[in-house]
Amino acid sequence: MRERLRATLSELLTSTTGKVGVAFLAVMVLISIYALTANPVDFGDRLWNNPAAWADNPKNVPPAWTGLFQSTRPVTHSVLEATEPTETRESTRFVERVYALDLDFPYDEAPTFTSFSLEDVTYQERPPSVSLEVARPDGRTVSLYRLAVPAPRAGESPPYSRYESTPFRVHLTGEPSVAGEAAAFLREEFGAGAQGGSLIGRVDEAVFGTPDAASESGFRPLQGEYRVLVTARFRDEADSIGRVRFVVGGSQFGLMGTDSLGRDLARGLVFGFPVALTIGLLTAIMATVIGTTLGIISGYTGGKTDIGIQRFSDVLSNIPLLPILLFLAFILGQKLWIVIAILILFGWPGMTIVIRSMVLQVRSGQLVEASAALGASRWRIMLRHIFPQMAPFVFAQMIFFTPAAILAEAGLSFLGLGDPSIPTWGQILDQGFRTGAVYVGYWWWVFPPGLLIVLTALTFVLIALGMERVVDPRLRTVRQ
Amino acid sequence: MSIAKTLAIRGATLVGVLFAVLVMVVVTLGATGFSDRMLTAIVNEEVRGLRQGLAQTIRDADRLEAALRDHRQELEASYGLDRPWYSRLPQMIGRVIRLDLGEARTLKTAEGSSSITALLRERLPRTMMLVTTASFITACLGLFFGVKLATRVGSRSDRVASLFAATSNALPAWWAGILLILLTYVILSTFGVRVFPPGGMYSAPPPEGGLPRLLDLLWHAALPVITLTLISVGSWTYVVRTMVMNTAQEDFVTVARAKGLPESAVMRSHILRVAAPPILTGLILGLASSVGGAILTETVFNWPGMGRLYYDAILSVDESVVVALTFMFTLIYVTARFTLEVLYIVVDPRVRYS
Repeated sequence: MRERLRATLSELLTSTTGKVGVAFLAVMVLISIYALTANPVDFGDRLWNNPAAWADNPKNVPPAWTGLFQSTRPVTHSVLEATEPTETRESTRFVERVYALDLDFPYDEAPTFTSFSLEDVTYQERPPSVSLEVARPDGRTVSLYRLAVPAPRAGESPPYSRYESTPFRVHLTGEPSVAGEAAAFLREEFGAGAQGGSLIGRVDEAVFGTPDAASESGFRPLQGEYRVLVTARFRDEADSIGRVRFVVGGSQFGLMGTDSLGRDLARGLVFGFPVALTIGLLTAIMATVIGTTLGIISGYTGGKTDIGIQRFSDVLSNIPLLPILLFLAFILGQKLWIVIAILILFGWPGMTIVIRSMVLQVRSGQLVEASAALGASRWRIMLRHIFPQMAPFVFAQMIFFTPAAILAEAGLSFLGLGDPSIPTWGQILDQGFRTGAVYVGYWWWVFPPGLLIVLTALTFVLIALGMERVVDPRLRTVRQ
Repeated sequence: MSIAKTLAIRGATLVGVLFAVLVMVVVTLGATGFSDRMLTAIVNEEVRGLRQGLAQTIRDADRLEAALRDHRQELEASYGLDRPWYSRLPQMIGRVIRLDLGEARTLKTAEGSSSITALLRERLPRTMMLVTTASFITACLGLFFGVKLATRVGSRSDRVASLFAATSNALPAWWAGILLILLTYVILSTFGVRVFPPGGMYSAPPPEGGLPRLLDLLWHAALPVITLTLISVGSWTYVVRTMVMNTAQEDFVTVARAKGLPESAVMRSHILRVAAPPILTGLILGLASSVGGAILTETVFNWPGMGRLYYDAILSVDESVVVALTFMFTLIYVTARFTLEVLYIVVDPRVRYS
């Protein structure tokens, strides 16, 4: 049997479709291994479905490489961080630490948003205050935000720590007080009569630009070297800040862009590889094992067992899969293992029917009759004499069944019945479809996941095609 | 085996399918407690209706409550809510068969009725229209191209068609639909022309008059029909081509040619006549996916048929509608399957006379 399988594999590798299919599969397995080592096992619950993990990403933006095809230069997403102060000033009453973050801004548009975060603040006696300023390339400085760290609560003892597990975060673009500060800056420096209210959501255009009546938005981007200054004023030498962060929201992000929650689609897509392969292969292997076993028993034993198994698989294989799959997933709950179990339950009968018809041919062969005459038991004949003759065909059937399982799960996920704790390509598509990404042309959200589903299914179709000649030797002569 | 017996066996199997689905649906509903919730909802609905009626005649609040309580107990007994779920199985199966599943929670027909039977009666023709049109076009195209390709096996067009068939096996109809919608959007944003609507069945508001209305319907149906045809025509062509090719190598075809029959007659009455039954088998096998696939395609194109209804029922967590639709989809499939089995016997004399 081992030789048969080896012959099958070498035959597979001589055909072009087989070669392409196997190469695709190898790439997929490598990506899957990377995805499983680079991500935590509870990726879905802890990262993917946790909006806080993606808060600092721009929303609904295309992949970074699309900038290459644009005439204007779009903003690159940048996260500026500091853990150590760049400058320390001491006076009798305060210790002032300045965290300076340098930002090169050569872009033709304002950032899509800006945000400021503070992590892990510790103080001994009285809470520190933090202020945020931006020094612009034209020598002007905008004061944007002031924060008084919350004072000790009753019953707390020093040292007090704040923003330890969840950082303090302010979305500067949408913050009314920031808009007020920016309006004051405009009035003082340019004499422009901008109202505070009208700047909410447009703060970045004012901070990273100069007033320009000719342009549509009222501002012209100001290119050059910016410096973001975070000044913390402490009362005690031992007080500290763990980390300050300033995010300049890009109009493009990463390899694959982001969705409406700011999630990095590339990470979700990569995580989809091991999930899709698991669903396809696990279902195919289990369905094949059950189907082959019952098919051989049914074909070789005959009689009542045969009729029973055949009637049962006839009924099961005639049930329209998708409605039942939807029903069961809807009622039993959205768990991936339930979906796989259902796919196996409805997958094996088709295999049983085909295998049985092949066993009927082999059963009357001389090899089997000779073994029976020599007194071999029925199980031995089925296992040692019938199964080996079927092996290549069984293997081909298994490969052939794999894409069906992957496509069924993708369809189910697309209808919103996917397992929410395990992100799949179908689910990404579902979210894109439901939030209307299709109708506004967010192609980076709906095109790649579908393409990956098709490529994965195609991989197995190609391998199955490459095996066709192994299974059906007549085809070897047809091709010339 | 006589025709009657063959048909009886196939019929029995398909009835078995229907019954198996029913039992599975009802047992799942019962064992998970869903059927209790469904029946309780029906009882609550009836008691609420009764309260409004009785409040007119019984003024005393205590007496009203007592009367309602009595009535509720009566109702619960008649629905079997006071017994364990498995003792209700036969009754529940009966309700599903009669589609007597009460009202949908939020879904409504165009006339505003929320009865599940009315909903199905409204949606079923729309789904049938879409699926049958697409199947008909696919079958015609498949036959035409399949026969053409069978005469030039191994040519470049044959290889392209084979590759196309293999690819469309891996291409889900719903994603193909999404791509087409995306494409119409791109055309709209670059050229300012709306080639096809992104979804729905009529424009809003629908045009007046018979002909404009029909044209509007066709305009909306075009994209889903194109999608359904595009993804199934490849494998269908391939099936026809392979069957015709295999038959064309048989001796009796050579004999027919040797007799000097024109090629068209050989194809029509010798090759196609013999290849018809296996081609029909291909159609039967393809049916399952096209019926179930309507759920996904209609969802993508917002086509208000049974498939879209299924999606909406899932979104609004309406188990009664989901049950009714699961049953209906199985029923349609089984009916279509049986019709094809009968057709098969008509087409294949070997089944008739053996």
